[in-house]
Amino acid sequence: MKTFQYLLAALFAWVDVTVDAQTVNWSRYTPENKHFIDLHGGTEFGMAFGIAAGTHFRIGNLPLQTYVDFSMPAGNTWLDDYKVRIGGKIRWFAVEHIQFSTRFEAVFRREKNDFVRLLNFGSDMSGILGYYRGPWFAAAEVGFDKAVVTHFQHEEAYKDQFPGVRDGWYLPPTGGNFYAGFQLGATIGKQDIYLRAGRILVQDFKRSPLIPYYSQIGVNAKF
Amino acid sequence: MYAMQKFSALFIGALLFASCTEERTISDPGNLVPPTVDQDANLPSIAVNGISLHAEAFGHPDSTLVVCLHGGPGGDYRYLLNAKSLADHGYRVVFYDQMGSGLSQRIHRKQLDDMGIGVLDALYDELKGVIALYRTHPEQKVILFGHSWGAILATGFAGRYPNSVQGLILCEPGGLRWEDIEDYIERSRDFSLLGERLNDLAYLDQFITGHRNAHAVLDYKYALATAQNPVTGEDNTKAGSFWRNGAVFSEALIDMGEREKPDFSQGISQIAAPVLFFYTERNKAYPDSWAAHVSGAYPAAERYKIMGTGHSGPVFETRIWNETTLPKMLTFLNAL
Repeated sequence: MKTFQYLLAALFAWVDVTVDAQTVNWSRYTPENKHFIDLHGGTEFGMAFGIAAGTHFRIGNLPLQTYVDFSMPAGNTWLDDYKVRIGGKIRWFAVEHIQFSTRFEAVFRREKNDFVRLLNFGSDMSGILGYYRGPWFAAAEVGFDKAVVTHFQHEEAYKDQFPGVRDGWYLPPTGGNFYAGFQLGATIGKQDIYLRAGRILVQDFKRSPLIPYYSQIGVNAKF
Repeated sequence: MYAMQKFSALFIGALLFASCTEERTISDPGNLVPPTVDQDANLPSIAVNGISLHAEAFGHPDSTLVVCLHGGPGGDYRYLLNAKSLADHGYRVVFYDQMGSGLSQRIHRKQLDDMGIGVLDALYDELKGVIALYRTHPEQKVILFGHSWGAILATGFAGRYPNSVQGLILCEPGGLRWEDIEDYIERSRDFSLLGERLNDLAYLDQFITGHRNAHAVLDYKYALATAQNPVTGEDNTKAGSFWRNGAVFSEALIDMGEREKPDFSQGISQIAAPVLFFYTERNKAYPDSWAAHVSGAYPAAERYKIMGTGHSGPVFETRIWNETTLPKMLTFLNAL
């Protein structure tokens, strides 16, 4: 039964990979400018900076954006912590200037601190309802970021405290956070600039992460 | 596109691999943190006021009692174990992990919140119970040896029961009035927005989350969060620094403090017991002026600065303990 659940999780993860995206002004993409590169920075579980690249295409009448995003938090040690997201965003409907889209991401993240190295595979899903008019847009987003399966590899420093600590993969999911906020953006020529900000809550809706808010400023260029 | 396929394969592969291994949860004690006394019968324990406490005592039962109070709130007594050597000098040394802390029994968060400021009464009653349990005769002297939060607790207890202790040995209580404690906490943090420590800590919240009573999960995160503090000079990565932290208890007590703003110096001007007050050179949040300010609340405190170490060093660092702290303590104790 457990194996079946994990296979379902894996299948779900595959769906994640095939449909996911970045903060985007849907109304400004053209067949000539369907690729983009994105730079962003802000506070999201730390002070983080990232780069993404993606492309737009269509499945039937549904516009789809897929991308790869790499980000890492600030700190003194280079590349000890980072996150890779492969995702897609699909616009389900557009009525006048109101549009609704969903975003799915498969997430791989790594953290190394004094006591442990963590590797995690997770998913991030969100819904975005927005007003997109000409060169600018404003949208609300609600999402859930799940740490599905995590590998723990402890340092000697922690084993010195607790020799019985068990390294390896941990499942069921080790964490999850809901988030809700807004997106604002504008298109200038072939560039979008955008701002995302909002609140993060732990999945029990009672606790908050150390930095309970997220904010992101980004710019992307189409080509 | 190739990178995407590769990543997807890796992702699914990891999940399939995980599905083939034994299920392991972060919330089960014994996986990421050691079990508590109510979960492991092999641990030394006592029962006080209906709560199982992790506790040990060394030395002749009839000798002067030195009760060691660990820091935190929520820490454990492991880093204080060098004080065991007081038993070799004729003292009865008692260690215990406070309720909800270390390897002692955990308390439900709602129960702690419902107590309000009464949680301090519960801690004083607990200490009273520990003393009563180990005291073998009415003439047996009782000395409280408190470190950090333990020194605050010892002060509050001595102010509440001024005749119940014959001496206080205190090491770097952050403050005694809540405003002072908040001030100290603020100054002792090493949180730079672009620094490694804050970002390690904040980044972790994506990997591990726990509900309000997920003790094992939150205790583990607490340990990761407190590995090192360059401001206070603490280094919990050294072997034998701790067993397990009580995150829920710690958080509940801090929240209570913010609401109730307790004053641990109440009644302290009434105590006749002499006070030996240690502070350290390498705790940057504890300069001479702060040591003078905090120790000024005691009617008769002998202040002593321990050189070459930080916050937990006076007891944890064996060389400092043997060469400086222990001799100073013995001089103080032998004069009582």
